[in-house]
Amino acid sequence: MAPAAGVRRRVRRMLPRPALAAAATAAVGVALLPLVYLSVRVGDAGWPRISSEVFTSRTGQLTARSVALAGLVTAASTVFGVTSAFLVTRTDLPARRLFGVLAALPLAVPSYVAAFAWVSTVDGFEGFWAAALVLTLVSYPYVFLPVAAALTRADPAQEEVARSLGSGPWHTFSAVTLRQVRPAMGAGALLVALYVLSDFGAVSVLRTDVFTRAVFTSVSLGFDRTGALVLATVLVVITLLIVSGEQLTRRRAAHYARLGGAGRPPTRLRLGRLRWLAASGLAGMGALALGLPAASLARWFGEGVSRPGSLTGLATAAGNSFTLSAAGAGLTILLALPLGLLGARTPGPVAVVLDRLAYLSHALPGLVIGLSLVFFGINVAYPLYQSVWLLALAYAALFLPLAVAAVGAAVLQAPPALEEVARSLGRRRFHVLRTVTVPLAAPGIGAGAVLVFLTCMKELPATLLLRPTGMDTLATELWSQTSVSAYAAAAPYAALLVLLAAAPTWWLSARTGVLAGGGS
Amino acid sequence: MAELRVTAVHKSFGPVRALRGADLTVRSGTLMAVLGPSGSGKTTLLRCIAGFEPVDAGEIRLDGQQIAASGRTVRPERRRIAVVPQEGALFPHLPVRGNVAYGLDRHSRRTGRVESVLALVGLAGFEDRMPHHLSGGQQQRVAVARALAPHPRVVLLDEPFSALDAALRTAVRQDVRRALRADGATAVLVTHDQAEALSVADEVAVMHDGRIVQSGPPDLVYSAPADPWVAGFVGEAVWLPAEMTGDRAHTPLGPVPVVATGDRPPAMAGQVLLRPEQIEVVVPVARAAVTATVVGHDFQGHDALLALRLADGTPVVARIFDPASLPHVMGGEVGLRVRGAARAFPAPPQTPQ
Amino acid sequence: MRTTRPGGAASVALVTLLTLGPAACGGGSEGTPKASDKKITVYSGRSESLVKPLLEDFQETSGITVEARYGETAAIAAQLQEEGSRTPADVFLAQDAGALGAVAGKDLFAALPDVLLDKVPAAYRDEGGEWVGVTGRSRTMVYNIDQVAEKDLPESVFDLTEPEWKGKVGVAPTNGSFQAFVTAMRVEHGEERTQDFLHGLKANDAPIREGNGAIVADVENGTLATGLVNHYYVYELAKEKGTSVDTLKAKNHFFANGDIGGLVNVSGVGVLKDSGDDPDVRAFADYLLGTQAQTYFAQETYEYPLVAGVASAPGLPKLPSLKTPDIDLGDLDDLQTTIAMIKESGLA
Repeated sequence: MAPAAGVRRRVRRMLPRPALAAAATAAVGVALLPLVYLSVRVGDAGWPRISSEVFTSRTGQLTARSVALAGLVTAASTVFGVTSAFLVTRTDLPARRLFGVLAALPLAVPSYVAAFAWVSTVDGFEGFWAAALVLTLVSYPYVFLPVAAALTRADPAQEEVARSLGSGPWHTFSAVTLRQVRPAMGAGALLVALYVLSDFGAVSVLRTDVFTRAVFTSVSLGFDRTGALVLATVLVVITLLIVSGEQLTRRRAAHYARLGGAGRPPTRLRLGRLRWLAASGLAGMGALALGLPAASLARWFGEGVSRPGSLTGLATAAGNSFTLSAAGAGLTILLALPLGLLGARTPGPVAVVLDRLAYLSHALPGLVIGLSLVFFGINVAYPLYQSVWLLALAYAALFLPLAVAAVGAAVLQAPPALEEVARSLGRRRFHVLRTVTVPLAAPGIGAGAVLVFLTCMKELPATLLLRPTGMDTLATELWSQTSVSAYAAAAPYAALLVLLAAAPTWWLSARTGVLAGGGS
Repeated sequence: MAELRVTAVHKSFGPVRALRGADLTVRSGTLMAVLGPSGSGKTTLLRCIAGFEPVDAGEIRLDGQQIAASGRTVRPERRRIAVVPQEGALFPHLPVRGNVAYGLDRHSRRTGRVESVLALVGLAGFEDRMPHHLSGGQQQRVAVARALAPHPRVVLLDEPFSALDAALRTAVRQDVRRALRADGATAVLVTHDQAEALSVADEVAVMHDGRIVQSGPPDLVYSAPADPWVAGFVGEAVWLPAEMTGDRAHTPLGPVPVVATGDRPPAMAGQVLLRPEQIEVVVPVARAAVTATVVGHDFQGHDALLALRLADGTPVVARIFDPASLPHVMGGEVGLRVRGAARAFPAPPQTPQ
Repeated sequence: MRTTRPGGAASVALVTLLTLGPAACGGGSEGTPKASDKKITVYSGRSESLVKPLLEDFQETSGITVEARYGETAAIAAQLQEEGSRTPADVFLAQDAGALGAVAGKDLFAALPDVLLDKVPAAYRDEGGEWVGVTGRSRTMVYNIDQVAEKDLPESVFDLTEPEWKGKVGVAPTNGSFQAFVTAMRVEHGEERTQDFLHGLKANDAPIREGNGAIVADVENGTLATGLVNHYYVYELAKEKGTSVDTLKAKNHFFANGDIGGLVNVSGVGVLKDSGDDPDVRAFADYLLGTQAQTYFAQETYEYPLVAGVASAPGLPKLPSLKTPDIDLGDLDDLQTTIAMIKESGLA
């Protein structure tokens, strides 16, 4: 009896909430569907084929270039993201709220739209550095948003103590403030890195030879699916390295919301003469990230005579984008809930491994995810094939990490003590989840849903492969028009796509708190 | 209302043994204070009773029915044991009414239970306030009302007053005490504050290193501590080396009547415990048998502690109740007299940290 | 047409849509036996704006409902290979022969009846009879009239490796049409000459673009002097600008005298295995090779009709004057060799 009880106890310590862990495992299963597909297809290819595809100098170059691009964009996004978050939340920058929204809005611009805009504006704009610039401009909000939220919530007392101990503002920032927002910064940077690895839009338009482009080229050059999938596998390995590396540098500390006690607004750093320099810097970023694409779209529309079919067509596409993205966001959040809860409530090796596994498919290009869901739909879930749900499942596989990160952070707003009290009052776990945890975490979960929603709106390759037959979205229409050079017809779709994505982005930015409390 | 019985409970977290055979009995309708320094395992004990942690060994019974044992944990929601956590932990998204009614079924919500428990804690009319509009003391009272509302078999309070300021603490403490008593609740209060434990509880259980080392009525625990550690933890202790002859001890303060601790007769040699209030400072010096030098002074408002050194160097602490009337200049000479009996202990005292 | 529900109040809509979603947009046609059900599913690698009016016309005249999925030709080819025999598709309408060859190579197409195949010259259909060309596209050299004088235009595509063209000839090596052109060159002129040509382009710093459209746009705005593309891209550009091709700076130069630079490639159609006997599908294939559709392609897309008796757009050289080498345009093994050579040359 004693050993059995011992084993049971050890199991319980490892896995304190079996039902939750099971649900989380199922969610990770969805994220891993593409890997199952990859291993089946790559397995079919056989070792000689794999080694001839992988162990080439070209693969080495691709790896180096992809990693360099991801590293450069991540570093630049982190610098821009943290700087703008700090300027907006902690200084007496003029027009802070405006800049707060401006810094988040590039999230609404699909990378292929931004890249197109740049190519058609700047002659000879292509290659590695061009791609790095465009990708930085569209992805630094991934760092800005969480860091701005963390800076708004962070306890100013620590900074005050540092200042009182004779630390200058710069040293305080690097030693105290940065440390406080480190988890948010790390999570954002990880998303940027994986996003860059998976992006196809910008690198193809800007002709930068990286892994995703090689994967697509493999498919279009001689319709070589196997070669493409073997290359995609290398991408998974890179992701695995990045994700475990990030885990190693992470310090486990759950910063639960304070119970009671009112948070003080932080004191704002006076920038003095630097105020206007900082403001023009942010304005410049905004112009490059938003103004230039907007001007470009306007020019396309003005110079061409092609027009989208009709307003109804435009509205239908917008409605479809909305439906598909809402389904995708809903399903993704639903799957992210157990994962996020498990990570926040029962931190341990199991939770960590599940969380990390959820990231593995995140750097795979949409085409590969699309094909893997075709495989899954045809062989396993035929009734779902070419339905909204299979596409939603693809979105979940692609964007689960975005939602998991958001849910994890949101659950921290509902400290476990509250759940314990609720249970001690005779309420079951599920009831407690529904009446206490979810309502408290709802804004954060909502933010995750919105982030996934607008990412789904921009997604193209998987959408093309998996959408229900005849269902056009803004992104597919945009693609369809640009593929026959009908840029003027494409412009309204692009503009509507950006505008529709901008509304939720605005909300995301508002809830970080940068729009609240104007006092200086 | 129910009797709670904890028997030989063990609980470890990895290498840390938080509970090492804790025993506790709480009689129906009484308030038991579990008193111990931080790290003594008292919060773990409370969490085991609540059902938030499974126990490794031993058992917990409520009204004779087993609710926790090794490999068996009745879920918290089935125990009818309500918890008042340290910070109150009100649900921030619910108004006071929603908080208090949380554990009530639909029927009891309509019978005015919410209003009556709120009245009990002195917050009648606060039903529609949101938690962040309440003061700390009010939040704590709502948390108690919330716990009492569904008529739990036991209410567990985890250091509920520690976040309140001193003046408020006494008032809230007394109100909560009154509310618990008025509702006939059986309650366990966990605290590291011995004054709080002694003043509020019907019984006190002192916890040390994962065990309950003594439990009983507050006055008994204070006046007859089971061992030197308890003596030192529950109040100020003055230790004096002593030689016993019959029922008298010869100490640096002169001969003092002794009472044995437990069943053991006083040993021939050992030490005795005196409480500072047993040591009377007499002026003028000439009228006292023993004199001492004032070496320190700890003013506490209603009284003061005077640190003294006897001629042979033995340190002694005396409590004086009228600090203004006595001269206590540093280095000054005072006379000392002992009131009442001392407690004899065999071993040299270990002082609690 | 499928109905979709426009989103209501955004906040509530999410949950509502989760439940309404599947009802609003059900799955594609399932694995039902492909007898005449007055409905066909077309996977189209050709663009929607081009194909849709045609499909609507077919639907109207035949009474057969057409469900169309649009995508990149290569991605659809991969999708069809993945779907295998359970594909909901009846017909694959492809941008180029290579993709049709890839699908045929997986044994997924049904053999087409000879009456259908015989409408099209043998060079523009599969030797095994599993797919048939619908339209022809000629390779051309597009040039900017301000930068290249008509008299300086080369007679042969091989001239483009000469120093005078250094940095002036835009190519899209990852594009199917370029690959088909290189394959044809290999067949016609041998591996060695082709290799020299590719290396010559690379050594001449030929600017590389992602697709033909980008090359034509850059030639029009003067960024590029010339480029190797398909002939109809200038017409697309003119249409987008709302003018006629005559007003453009970008002009087509057709390589004459059977030069390989004037290769004619095809877009084509294949029928999926289970739909081989479906009369609806047959009706659609007939329609594509009928006078009406061929005329539509000729006039709307400026492609060459492949069926006898339909005239090509005015201003285009006659099809027989262009090069039609004796190769199987869908031969994948050939294509793989081509790709290896393109990669080896450093162009892709």
